[in-house]
Amino acid sequence: MKLDPRTKLYMILVVSAVVMMSATTPLLWTVRIVITMIPIFLLIGEKKYTSAFGFMFLYAAAMVLTFCFVSESSTTFFKNFVTGYTGIIVQFMPCMITAWYVVRTTKIGEFMSAMQRMHLPDGITISLAVVMRFFPTIREEYSSISDAMKMRGIAFGGGNAAKMIEYRMIPLLFSCVNIGDELSAAAITRGLGGKVKRTSVETLKLRITDWFFITLFTAAAVVFILFKYVL
Amino acid sequence: MSEVTPNSNRLKAKDFITVGIFTAIIFAVEFVCGMLGFIHPFIVASYVVMIPLVGAIPMMLFYTKVQKFGMITIMSVLIAIIMFVMGMGYLGAPLIVVAGVIADLIARSGKYKSFKKTMVSYGVFCLWICANYFPVIITAESYRKSLIDEGYSAEYCNNLFLAINYKTIGVLLVLCFVFGCIGAVIGKAVVKKHFEKAGIV
Repeated sequence: MKLDPRTKLYMILVVSAVVMMSATTPLLWTVRIVITMIPIFLLIGEKKYTSAFGFMFLYAAAMVLTFCFVSESSTTFFKNFVTGYTGIIVQFMPCMITAWYVVRTTKIGEFMSAMQRMHLPDGITISLAVVMRFFPTIREEYSSISDAMKMRGIAFGGGNAAKMIEYRMIPLLFSCVNIGDELSAAAITRGLGGKVKRTSVETLKLRITDWFFITLFTAAAVVFILFKYVL
Repeated sequence: MSEVTPNSNRLKAKDFITVGIFTAIIFAVEFVCGMLGFIHPFIVASYVVMIPLVGAIPMMLFYTKVQKFGMITIMSVLIAIIMFVMGMGYLGAPLIVVAGVIADLIARSGKYKSFKKTMVSYGVFCLWICANYFPVIITAESYRKSLIDEGYSAEYCNNLFLAINYKTIGVLLVLCFVFGCIGAVIGKAVVKKHFEKAGIV
């Protein structure tokens, strides 16, 4: 199933808005869980099984821990620790799943032409597209750097915090700067930043599925706000 | 990196790409430090020390590439957008953008060359970190309740509000600025040590 990038952006918007408001009643939790599950199912639909089930497992585990294990009276260090981590997962996981889904399934070209259609300024569009493309790159580069350091037997920079940061940050910056130069060259070749309005081979059209998801997410947001603040 | 003719003050595609790359790096730093904060609430308060110091290295490299007005502003807008997408709310967004614009103006007054101006500019830019605390301060009571509802322990919350409230936010802002300036000096030294010698800058 292919969704329009604009639908995906709308999904992000709704999920982050809903997550910001705390869920207090079972109904609100249900709404929250439902809108978290939708991107997971969409990921499954895109055959991204590993990430989908990984997210699902993590979210479910955090939920179970939060509800059964941790309570207001938990005081020990270990419990605080668990509380913190389950808290962060329950709080931020929905956003991350949605963002992950969007980043993984949207081609940069689609994203650019969607942003252009929404008349956002070029600066924001290009920079955001680069950020989107760059997060996975940073992770890849970082793991290569760790591998290289392991091969030379540098584990933690000798326990020196400043060294630890320096050993990781500097190579990372070097490779990022180089990738950036290559990226600019590629972008200019494709006519980015020219004076003429760019055309795109991707035709964007809101299909029935798009309207379905837009309606669904709007409904979820409305229900959430209604039951939290009005009723 | 970019060749600037004196007359062209318009940002080009290349500049936007630079902004995007460095925003991603800064955010990776913020993300790693943010993870630590869930160990103990006092670490949340120490973001104002950690992030300016660690983030200074990429930012000082970024400042060497900034030559036109708007790049730091765009960066702050992007940070605000990513913060929202990551579920950290919109309350801090005005602070982030205002800090970005002021930092940009300060750096421009030094024509993006003067190190003193850059230092102050980075200090001001670091104030965006305090946007992380805004939900804690502005909606203190309901935020506390929501944290407990969501399973944080009462002790975590008490410590969190002990460390961060409307009385300490002033101190936190000042700390952000001070450590931003210190970070700028360190970052400058690191950039000089590694990048200027390698001829990248």
